[in-house]
Amino acid sequence: MTSSTERSERAPAPIFAFPFRVGRALAFHELRERTRDRWVLVISALFALLASAVGLYGRSAEGNAAAITGPSLVTLASLFVPLVALALGYDAIVGERERNTLGLLLSMPVARTEVIVGKFVGRALALCLAVGLGLGAAMLAAAPGEARTLAALLGPTMALGLAFVSVGLLVSTLVSRQSTAASVVVAIWFLFVFFYDLGLLAILVATEGAIGDELVSSLVVGNPTGLYRVSLLASLGGENALTDLGLDVSLPSASARGAIWCAWIFGPIALSAAALSRRALR
Amino acid sequence: MQRLTLEDVAVRFGRIEALRGTSLELRAGEVFLLAGPNGAGKSTLIRVLLGLVAPTRGTLRVDGAPVRADRAFRARLGYLPESVAFSESSTGREVVSFFAAARGAPKKRIDEVLERVGLADARSRLVRGYSRGMRQRLGLAVALVAPCELLVLDEPTGGLDQDALTLLWSVLDEHRAAGCVVLLASHEIALLESRVDRLGLLARGQLVALGDPTSLRERAALPVRVKVAPRADADRDALVRALERVGTFAPVRGARALELDVQPSRLLELLDLDAAHRAGIADLQIVPPPFDEVYRRLLSEAA
Repeated sequence: MTSSTERSERAPAPIFAFPFRVGRALAFHELRERTRDRWVLVISALFALLASAVGLYGRSAEGNAAAITGPSLVTLASLFVPLVALALGYDAIVGERERNTLGLLLSMPVARTEVIVGKFVGRALALCLAVGLGLGAAMLAAAPGEARTLAALLGPTMALGLAFVSVGLLVSTLVSRQSTAASVVVAIWFLFVFFYDLGLLAILVATEGAIGDELVSSLVVGNPTGLYRVSLLASLGGENALTDLGLDVSLPSASARGAIWCAWIFGPIALSAAALSRRALR
Repeated sequence: MQRLTLEDVAVRFGRIEALRGTSLELRAGEVFLLAGPNGAGKSTLIRVLLGLVAPTRGTLRVDGAPVRADRAFRARLGYLPESVAFSESSTGREVVSFFAAARGAPKKRIDEVLERVGLADARSRLVRGYSRGMRQRLGLAVALVAPCELLVLDEPTGGLDQDALTLLWSVLDEHRAAGCVVLLASHEIALLESRVDRLGLLARGQLVALGDPTSLRERAALPVRVKVAPRADADRDALVRALERVGTFAPVRGARALELDVQPSRLLELLDLDAAHRAGIADLQIVPPPFDEVYRRLLSEAA
């Protein structure tokens, strides 16, 4: 039984009761925590450093900056941003579980979906800061005329990062140990960033190209890293850029690309929420 | 909340039956201790109350009405998990601040509760610099940051020094006086015996003993230790023979000490000793068995 005195200690009800109270608190808490995470800081700083180096290099290539800075940054971001994002996402739930704070968190008046969304939002904001810092550094270092082109990379690069934060979150929800989550996300990074294209190439060689261009194109853009690369290279270099690079890939429509990004960003979040909701905390 | 009742609650994890139809009533204004060996089902029972584990059967009732451990129910409870490890890169104040925001407690409550648990001076330090006892105090601050009707403390005494234990006792007393239901789970039953109103012993997912500490002592019917100090001029052999009729001698630790185990029902027979024998006794102490032994006896009875 709570005494009336104690009841009065609760915060006054807001005029417009805004839901998602725990989620908001969690998102803010997560953002603050991630900005103190040494691994995230180191990888983000390295990305910013290399991005600014790319910008400077493009600036030095007089008259050819457009052909160097943008594509080089895309390649750099396709390596680093998934790594930063996975480092941000992999311990979201399993870390709480190992520290015995997940039960405490879920014992509060909060839906488990809200916990997942709060975790994602906080870590996504941290990712956006890291991407903004990296690309911002590149823009400052690049030739003055390049800044606008590079600014166009922000949205897709953030989308790429959000997809991998979401994948990291899913891994974090499904496994029981943080060390397992770390191993799984490293494997995912290698798979999506390096081995996926090699695997496709191996399939093409093995089947002597019999699997068809449509299927190859679908498989390339089905990987968020592939989608990021081909859509930005096409956007930076014009319609024939992919052919010039020897990539026989047909780019899906803007709406199809948006749908693929949404699937990669929101799909794992939904799966994480479903997994956490079904899971008993033993 | 006047009564919180668990009715025939069972929980199964695959092949493991963690709780086998446990029924328990917790009352407002009482401190209840849940004890039992590892794997007995204490944590599972707590997790059912917290809504972290759905029971495979059974009912949770508040004041007789069936309830679910949903958001509305969880808004009424405070919880200290066992061995909780808050983020090392946050300050104590940031940790409490997050849980205060999440539970809708006013900001002024953050510093109040840190003051209450004795962490006011350490509020701005990172948790990684906290000792084990300070971390436990921080956990207590989180549990107390918002008012609650049900306070659940899982192994609350771990790592606490005497000052912190005094703090914990005062927290228990305050919540008892405020009419809260307080549920503790702990292995430190001897330490907590005098601080709780009732306790329940769980073994293999079932409640095997329930009652206040005195009634459980009576149920265990363990002998009490009687320490007799004979006078220097007493006839020691005659005194030993007389005492042997009342109890069983325990191994003697000192040259002059006589220690015997006596069933509580036979204690009054000590008064029937001959006047000569009584005159030979310089001092007599009656020491009840430690509660750990009561606990072991009750568990072995259940087995």
